[in-house]
Amino acid sequence: MLTRRSIQANGVATAVLANAVSNAPLVFLNGSVPGVSPFCSGYHIWGACLERFASERSVLALDLPGTGGTGVPDDGLTVESMTRHVRASLEALGVERCHLVGHDLGGLIALALAAEAPALVRGVTAVSSLAAAPTGDSVENLTLAYPPVPKWSRQSQRWALERVSYSHHHIDDLLLDACVGADAGNAHRAACAAMSAGAHADVFIPSLLGAKGRFYEICRQGGMPIPVQVIWGTHDPLATLDQGLWLFKIVAARQRATQFHAINRAGNLPFREEPEAFHQVVSAFCDVVFPA
Amino acid sequence: MTQSAAELSGSRANIALPEARWIDVDGIRTRYYDAGSGEPIVFIYGGNFGTSDSASSSHTWNLNLLPLSTRFRTIAFDKIGQGFTDNPKDDDYTMRAVVRHAADFVRAMKLPPVHLVGHSRGGYAAVRLTLEHHELVRSVSLVNSGTLSPGVGTNEVVLSRPPYPKFTAECVRWIYQNYSFDPDVVTDEWVNAVLEVLALPKYRESIAKVEGERLGAKLFLPALAREKRETLQWINEGRLQRPVQVFWGFDDRTATLERGVDLFRMFALHDRQAQLHVFNQSGHFPFREHPERFNALLGRFVESHAA
Repeated sequence: MLTRRSIQANGVATAVLANAVSNAPLVFLNGSVPGVSPFCSGYHIWGACLERFASERSVLALDLPGTGGTGVPDDGLTVESMTRHVRASLEALGVERCHLVGHDLGGLIALALAAEAPALVRGVTAVSSLAAAPTGDSVENLTLAYPPVPKWSRQSQRWALERVSYSHHHIDDLLLDACVGADAGNAHRAACAAMSAGAHADVFIPSLLGAKGRFYEICRQGGMPIPVQVIWGTHDPLATLDQGLWLFKIVAARQRATQFHAINRAGNLPFREEPEAFHQVVSAFCDVVFPA
Repeated sequence: MTQSAAELSGSRANIALPEARWIDVDGIRTRYYDAGSGEPIVFIYGGNFGTSDSASSSHTWNLNLLPLSTRFRTIAFDKIGQGFTDNPKDDDYTMRAVVRHAADFVRAMKLPPVHLVGHSRGGYAAVRLTLEHHELVRSVSLVNSGTLSPGVGTNEVVLSRPPYPKFTAECVRWIYQNYSFDPDVVTDEWVNAVLEVLALPKYRESIAKVEGERLGAKLFLPALAREKRETLQWINEGRLQRPVQVFWGFDDRTATLERGVDLFRMFALHDRQAQLHVFNQSGHFPFREHPERFNALLGRFVESHAA
């Protein structure tokens, strides 16, 4: 049974969803850019799949800084500050070793943290992680262009969630209530303020490109120090299957235990659209590289 | 890194097979291994009868059969004309005979609908068996099946004219090392299992037919090409009607990754739950190069499609 609580980490109120306390959990990190993405993410995005994992293992899901119930750190919203915050949260929770499952931006943060703290992060599952995948000279992706106004209204968030999905069936009231609730929360308001006045383009995007560059450098040189699994939906409107395979190939160059998995009839949220397949492939990987 | 080291040693460990058993399958004395209880998984290995540079048999699955038998009933048999199973009657060295014998084996074993795992040419046999006998099959797992995938196979490019004499350990090792990513996975145990088959008088007979009398070029390959056209059409029509997952070793030079992706996409058009799994640092035999992670994925898949 997963229960929610709030802890202080790095001086920031941090929302956590967890079952039995363990120092070796499976940790979930949500995606989307706080204060910018047209739907409000947080640990609620993982939906019912968290309970599936929690029935077999120790599970911990964090709201990334500026999303759900986690505030914005003093050093602002960059990939580096968010990575620092995740590490501080894990340490505050007494986590000694973990396997990180990260969606999109959460995937890049998971990979970055694993590269700097392989004793803490023993493996990574990067899910639909366009943030970590190469995007060189791609044409503009219009999937989320011109969202209905007002942005982050229930209607507008439903539109955005549908646009990134293969099918709309997973978008239920439970999800929309949580997304709308996140919009009304202090964390999202603080994130909007932190990303305003050009900060998104001037600070966040350069930090994202910098983090990607460092990640590729690590993959080219020493290699990722821990096993990595890349999961991709076959119908992700934001990213082609080829981009997912490229992310796999980049890690595979110097990490023996690298796997790629395509999940059929799923968009950018395969853990919501095909929770059973998602649970299967993540569990099978962890059964070997991070046994419960 | 320690994990990789542990996995390496695991994949090289000798894992015994249970005692071999024998069953009469429509007049063909057939060798098989049978372990565990529960959902039945039937493994169909790759390769062909009548080859003199290598020879596959159900031994290929020795890293999977017993480890998975703790939760499932795992069965691997020698295909007609291969391993220790009798040669086909009337010189019927065709894939059709292989598929018929495989289906007859499942029936003779009186198994409830099985989870088929087919590697390489065995992947073709698994799918064709399913297309012809849906009632025998519950799910299909395919591994690096260049034979089934549309597009061009590159076996001959990588493996033709081995630099060692036929029937020797050096030749067998050279073949499987060129199939594999890591040459060290080709253990003496694996090579010896192949040499044992190559030495059987009945296997020598099949070589005389397939290579000597050129039944491979005159009969097996043209018939396979004709039936493969039909098989691919049937898949594209959505006739398979069983859950499918496709495993692929990323570094297989005889059946490259693009061919696995193409194959997966064919199934994904009709099977909502189709999955593709790609293993790094693996050639043609991901279930031998990464047995722990392969077995974990296969076990989870079979559980989710259990009766």
